[in-house]
Amino acid sequence: MPNPILDPTGTAATAATTAAPRAPRRANLAGATVGLLVNTKQNAAPFLDEVGRLLAQRYGATVTMSRTKVNFAAPAPEDLVKEMTTNCDVIITGIGDCGSCSASAVADGIAFEAAGLPAAAICSDAFRVTADAMADLQGAPGYRYATTPHPVAVLTPDQVRARAAQVLDDVVALLTESAA
Amino acid sequence: MTQADTTGADTTGADTSGADTSGAEAPDPDAAQAAIEYCYDRDWSDGLPLVPASQPLVDRFLATTTRAPDEVIGELEQVGRNCTVYLAAVNAAMAGCRPEYFPVVLAAFEALMRERAARGGGWQSTSGPAPMIVVNGPIRHELGFNTTGGAFGPGFRPNATVARAIGLIVRNAFGIRPHVLEQATQGLPGRWSICLAENEEESPWPPFAADGGQPAGASAVSATLLRTCEFVDNRHTPDPEQVLWDIADTISRTGSLIFKETSAGVVLCPEHAQMLAGAGLEKKAVQEWLIEHCGRTGADLRHAGKNGLRGIARFADPDTSADEEFSRILPSPRHVPIVVAGARNAAISMVVRIFGEWSGTAIPVAPLAAAPPPPTAPAEVTS
Repeated sequence: MPNPILDPTGTAATAATTAAPRAPRRANLAGATVGLLVNTKQNAAPFLDEVGRLLAQRYGATVTMSRTKVNFAAPAPEDLVKEMTTNCDVIITGIGDCGSCSASAVADGIAFEAAGLPAAAICSDAFRVTADAMADLQGAPGYRYATTPHPVAVLTPDQVRARAAQVLDDVVALLTESAA
Repeated sequence: MTQADTTGADTTGADTSGADTSGAEAPDPDAAQAAIEYCYDRDWSDGLPLVPASQPLVDRFLATTTRAPDEVIGELEQVGRNCTVYLAAVNAAMAGCRPEYFPVVLAAFEALMRERAARGGGWQSTSGPAPMIVVNGPIRHELGFNTTGGAFGPGFRPNATVARAIGLIVRNAFGIRPHVLEQATQGLPGRWSICLAENEEESPWPPFAADGGQPAGASAVSATLLRTCEFVDNRHTPDPEQVLWDIADTISRTGSLIFKETSAGVVLCPEHAQMLAGAGLEKKAVQEWLIEHCGRTGADLRHAGKNGLRGIARFADPDTSADEEFSRILPSPRHVPIVVAGARNAAISMVVRIFGEWSGTAIPVAPLAAAPPPPTAPAEVTS
């Protein structure tokens, strides 16, 4: 028998992940406390702020917490997830607008779902493939997130507000619809 | 090429027996091709053929190090993957390394994992950065690294395959594949192929590894990530300061500026390095000259939409009040590392645009734990 050709990936030895949990949904966002997780990418903060403002104005939610990730490439640290989980009912995270931060925004959304909070991650539509790949890696294939057209970083303040308004229905659906 | 060099490759076309002049059975090309296709089918390749790795081959790599095969030598937290000594050996074998190169691969990988960008999102980045590996010390000649002309390659097995091994580790062990978790917009020429062996013999200064904290004469590897390389061809002036101005202009171009500060190394050719040293400049003095002179005026930056600063990030600010101000961009000598490489045949140097910043550390190459065992004869393997 010839020698087998060795696998260079090491993935055969990795234990299979269990299906990612999904948090129970609210019927609506009236009275919900909203946490914003900003990843420092250009225009992410005003974008999420406007989404929060519209959720308050149109759906009766209240933004109670806004946090900024120190490292946009990595998933949010455990203590940050815990702090936001303790203080919020739902989470908005983004804007996934680069190779590593789009993937990590999706990873954060999945982490909040596992912690019991409905979460909506927002990514630029240029990074769908890498966002989906991260969902697969996190054991959550088909994980749904909201997208906004690329590019985001060059938008003016008015354009950012318009984009936030455009993505609002998808964000609300992600946070309230129980069926995946 | 001598007759001896052609052993195993019949150049006359007359001998079709499959045996070379020593009488040994030539390898089976059809089996080799099938094995190469097997690797392509599993998506392990960077696009070029891989050397299919068998356990006997990988054992020869592992025999060169005292480190345990299951020792984790790098982790990428966000994708839940790591690289062990064993996986590094499999990928180095597939890259075409010889077993005795493996301690250099391990040192190069360790040096790279000192880089904040390499531990973070660098491999996934839209900028598609390339590792630049610099080898110093006697190991360069012991393993046959190219230390002179064509420093950036290609053409030399140790230089080419050590760099390629890093790329395969990122692809296979970390699982960062193009168009999926790797999101390079354009990438850059030379990704996974830049492994310089410093031309210490023709450098007027201490080896680069000394800047990374290693003693003179040590075999050591340094590494960082690059966004590109840009040549500075200046071979007609006898004035070293004119050469420095030319290098400073390349370092200072606005296209590469995204933050307040930047980092750009200089790979000086021996001629430029000797000219600067001949004018009495130590490496440190060259770095200080560049720190002082590299930068742009506020007007230049404003024309390119990069004059404003929000935190450390540049943005287009209509404010013209700082038009006359000169902004320096290199904060410290560590942000302008200097290596000497290439042939002594023309005054052509390279500015290497660093992604993030160099860690400033060189990693010693561990001595061979044992001479790698000889390859197993194919007849024994297949019987």
